Amino acid sequence: MITAGIDIGSVTTKVVIIEKLNSKNYKILSQAISPTGCEPKKSAEETLKNALSKIGLSIKDLRYVISTGYGRRTIEFGNETITEITCCAKGTFWLCNNFGIKAKTIIDLGGQDTKIISLDDEGNVVDFVMNDKCAAGTGRFLEVMSNVIGINLDDFGTYYTNAKEPVKINSTCTVFAESEVISLIAQGKQKEDIIKGICDSIAERILNMLKQIEEKDVIFFCGGGAKNEGIKRALEEKLKKEIYTPQEPQFVVALGAAIIGTERYQNL
Amino acid sequence: MKPNFWIKICSKCFLCKYVRTSKDKTKLKYKVFNKIKLFCPICRAANYSLKKIETTHKIDFEQRYKIEIIKKTDINVVQNIKETNKKILQLLHKNHNRPSTISYYEEILTSSLRLDELKETKRNGKKIIGTFCIFVPEELIYACGAIPVRLCAGSYDTISYAEEVLPRDICPLIKSSFGFKILGLSYFELCDLVIIPTTCDGKKKLAEILNDMMPVWILELPNRKNLTKAKTFWLEEIRTLKEKLEKFTKIKITKENLKQAIKLLHQRQMIFRKLYQLKKTYPLLLNERDTLLIIQASFYDDIKRWIEKTNQLYNEVYSLTLDSKHLNSKFSTQNITTQPIKLLLTGAPIIWPNYKILNIIETTQATIVADELCSGVRSLYDTTEVDDWSTEGCLRALAYKYLLPSTCPCFTESNDRIDKLLQSIKDFSVDAVIYHSLRLCQLYDIEFYKIKTVLKNYGIPILKLHTDYSPEDTEQLKTRIEAFIEMLKNKNQLK
Ligand code: SF4
Ligand code: SF4
Repeated sequence: MITAGIDIGSVTTKVVIIEKLNSKNYKILSQAISPTGCEPKKSAEETLKNALSKIGLSIKDLRYVISTGYGRRTIEFGNETITEITCCAKGTFWLCNNFGIKAKTIIDLGGQDTKIISLDDEGNVVDFVMNDKCAAGTGRFLEVMSNVIGINLDDFGTYYTNAKEPVKINSTCTVFAESEVISLIAQGKQKEDIIKGICDSIAERILNMLKQIEEKDVIFFCGGGAKNEGIKRALEEKLKKEIYTPQEPQFVVALGAAIIGTERYQNL
Repeated sequence: MKPNFWIKICSKCFLCKYVRTSKDKTKLKYKVFNKIKLFCPICRAANYSLKKIETTHKIDFEQRYKIEIIKKTDINVVQNIKETNKKILQLLHKNHNRPSTISYYEEILTSSLRLDELKETKRNGKKIIGTFCIFVPEELIYACGAIPVRLCAGSYDTISYAEEVLPRDICPLIKSSFGFKILGLSYFELCDLVIIPTTCDGKKKLAEILNDMMPVWILELPNRKNLTKAKTFWLEEIRTLKEKLEKFTKIKITKENLKQAIKLLHQRQMIFRKLYQLKKTYPLLLNERDTLLIIQASFYDDIKRWIEKTNQLYNEVYSLTLDSKHLNSKFSTQNITTQPIKLLLTGAPIIWPNYKILNIIETTQATIVADELCSGVRSLYDTTEVDDWSTEGCLRALAYKYLLPSTCPCFTESNDRIDKLLQSIKDFSVDAVIYHSLRLCQLYDIEFYKIKTVLKNYGIPILKLHTDYSPEDTEQLKTRIEAFIEMLKNKNQLK
């Protein structure tokens, strides 16, 4: 049985196509990612087509399609819409089972919002928090900073480790932080130090959200922001424990959606 | 001079009689003025100094530095408000199985029907008195022939105009309400007087600003309602209010007209309770949006007509329950197909047309079975129980009714509120609680932590929605609410 999950985020759209092998195992057949742009519907269709063409299938081969994410309601060909929180929990639970760990707390650092999800032993959501409507502490914040400093987000990790005298970014507001960083650059601060400051400030925001729910051990870090080594290190330093990140953290939600799809199809 | 001497010289004089019968001599000065035409020489002397107090009582605010607040005019607002109303009505009309009587409440809230009626009544010499919150005894207003309207507003469209005077960082309810005044719109403009209880800081200061635009009276509310001295104080406030109203309307509040008013409101609360009781057994008969329509129409409508219409509505809804095909879960005023998740709604007031979160909740597979909102059930639930029908007895009963059962967060303790929530959770077999917190209403925001923790200990999940009247966070709220419902559904399935 083949199903697909489409995660239409505020920045990128992700598609994962899976096949169910036996009661607990799935095989990821294909995945694709593209920018959402201003036409979420079109980009969802194209990303799905893209993922399908990689394995020579067509939309008819899909038994169940679940759309999720901020633009989940924009597409018309899906069977169901489910929020990214439920999907993220599902995806995480399966991935972690494969790793042989049991994640209890998920940090999902997305483009426009950050979510903290708390799970029980069976991977069910028991509580969650989301940031308020502003972009502080989200992927958008990182993107703006990366543009200002002119360093690719993927390289943040290396810069982070090389920081000698990290600076402190005081503003949490994206707009104010931007001007703060500009003035730090003007003062001649090292890029390494500024980058560590930025990562620390995001980690601080995430920590504050973590405090709002019962933080349980084994923390799983996903969403586009988890690709950023710098933030992961900053979080580990502050929490004083190891954090797990999957290889492709931005696909966790779409994967979860696809898994729920197979479950739904079986229950039909 | 000894009282018994007075009694000897004058048996008709009210003051003397009062001194003779009253145990509490401190009440004397309030009790006396404006009532006594017949004085014995000694009392007349006493009355002289009382007159002084009387004049300082006439206005609540000394207008030492009166400022001029310039009204705004903008024809677009009226249009915008109409559009908003229309949009929300359209959403409501998507629901099937709504009782037919509901259109009447829609009309009261969205058309100019009631406004025109009130204009007419005003022309005929009746006073219209605006109130805020739910502490102003409407019975007193009705008793002296005036008409109360509650001015707490839920419209986003008027906020930006209010922000030219009020700061941006206060709760939207206050800004929205003041917006109507500064724009010279609707009910606010009709009011001859506004009575504002000192609940939260925003309302207190709103009173001062409004006072430069129209007559404003303050009702001093104690911070701790359960203290004996608070009760005595509040009773005094109510008594003063009665006297001021009498003077304002030039109609005396007598034992008879007060009794009539109390009975009338009792009737209103009872019919509402009956409806609420029915909702307890058949939660899907009326959804929350319609329930709030019914309740909030009563803020403005002619009370007798409201009672009559609500009786009709009750009968209509009740007859549905007799018809067995309506009793399965498929029948609902919401398009629910499975066993619904039952929610309790609590927190800051949700007032028409601010149906933002309700519109989201009621398009999921969950239903709000009960609420604990001052703009909802709380405003019509409590009744005045009088056991002594003397004026004094009525005043006492009124004072207690408006103070003691209140679960407003403006009081220091939240225990009563928690009790009430736990009771409703039990009565309505609620699965989870939605906590509405208006941005910049600190009171509700602060109480959240304690309530959340207590409810968690009882195993009741709770979701806080921190938002305001602006539509910009609708998408985020959707994700939050839907994820919460998915979580609850999952939990129910596991059970
Ligand atoms: S909850 Fe707040 S707005 Fe509502 S009646 Fe009480 S004090 Fe007033
Ligand atoms: S919602 Fe809160 S801040 Fe606003 S008027 Fe009511 S009690 Fe005051």
